[in-house]
Amino acid sequence: MRDVVAVTNLSRRFGANAALRDVSLTVSRGCVFGLVGENGAGKSTLIKHLLGLWRAETGAVKVFGLDPVSEPTAVLARIGYLSEQPDLPGWMRVDELLRYMQAFYQRWDTTYAEQLLEQFGLNLGARIKTLSKGQHARLGLIAAEAHRPDLLILDEPSSGLDPIVRRDILEAVIRTITDEGRTVIFSSHLLDEVERVSDHVAMLHKGTLKLCAPLDDIKAQHRRMLLRFERAQAAPPDVPGAIRVDGAGREWTVICDARRMHGAAMARHLGASLVEDCPASLDEIFVAHAMS
Amino acid sequence: MAAPRLNPSSGTPLYLQLVEHLKHSIATGAIRAGEQLPSVRKMAEDLLINPNTVVRAYRDLESEGIVELRHGSGVFIRESVSARTDLMKKAEPVIRSAVDRLEALDLDEDDIRRLMENELALRRAARPRRKQRA
Repeated sequence: MRDVVAVTNLSRRFGANAALRDVSLTVSRGCVFGLVGENGAGKSTLIKHLLGLWRAETGAVKVFGLDPVSEPTAVLARIGYLSEQPDLPGWMRVDELLRYMQAFYQRWDTTYAEQLLEQFGLNLGARIKTLSKGQHARLGLIAAEAHRPDLLILDEPSSGLDPIVRRDILEAVIRTITDEGRTVIFSSHLLDEVERVSDHVAMLHKGTLKLCAPLDDIKAQHRRMLLRFERAQAAPPDVPGAIRVDGAGREWTVICDARRMHGAAMARHLGASLVEDCPASLDEIFVAHAMS
Repeated sequence: MAAPRLNPSSGTPLYLQLVEHLKHSIATGAIRAGEQLPSVRKMAEDLLINPNTVVRAYRDLESEGIVELRHGSGVFIRESVSARTDLMKKAEPVIRSAVDRLEALDLDEDDIRRLMENELALRRAARPRRKQRA
């Protein structure tokens, strides 16, 4: 089976607030699937459905071809999960937590866990509540990774962490997919991290899936063009096919769909000169779609 | 070989940044003909990028005849790239005299870089777009 995750027409409301609106996507085996969007865009809500913590109100969710709500054991045994604030019992010691985790997972790899403990400099006897935020996140990473899950889900794992811990997390992502056939879902608002490691990117905005495509395609489809006019423009120039036009006076930046736009021809048509025409960064693409 | 600094937010795809970096390292002699490049896994972990990005960069270099993929043993710089290094050496005086003339017009570094990038962008836009990989 190629698709590890299949979400079909999933909608979810919290009171009057639509957290997810008709979201459909698939995550194929062996890829890093980057999930981006602002806080409150629906990323965690989507992930909680994959973990079977919430039942689909409308639509369907399948993980490994199974319904995570009706078959939680079969699904969760194959998933590793790390959230922004890993919910680890503060009263336990590091070694107690690892023994406790081991009991849940048949595939728990003690050697691998020890190797990571050493790499991260975690003290086995330390009480979890005394760990720094970074060490807490690293322990969460071991807990999510040491059973070598088929699907590793990281929900905003880097929030508020220093660059060295963020590096450990990205390394874990890369380790996971270089092992044949394993899959990662990586949710983050740090777009340059997503751009580094993702094969496929989905962008949620206010519960709606705005983009969902291979990263290479997204990058190839969006360009950033800088236009300079002879005279200051009172209003944004009307650029057909533009996703976003931003600027003031004589200089305007256009984020556009490269398939529908020829930069030089457009500039000529508008009576402007094309100062720059280059690939847009994921950050620029994201903002353009969120503002449009 | 020094690990390159790749910048995801520059807009240029990471695999292209890696290709450019490796070409530069070869042109400057930091990597020599016959040498082996790090494995995909090692490169991906060192640079913190998706292994597929490394594969794609290596394939690009292969299709340009810069490296060869030897099955089971790795990626090697072709002996023929020394010819390319020579070519880069020949290009140096050309760019040097062009920059000298631009500086004589009182243009500063930013102006020159901008002019160069603009010229390249216009040429790129005028060319039919490269076929996208499926």
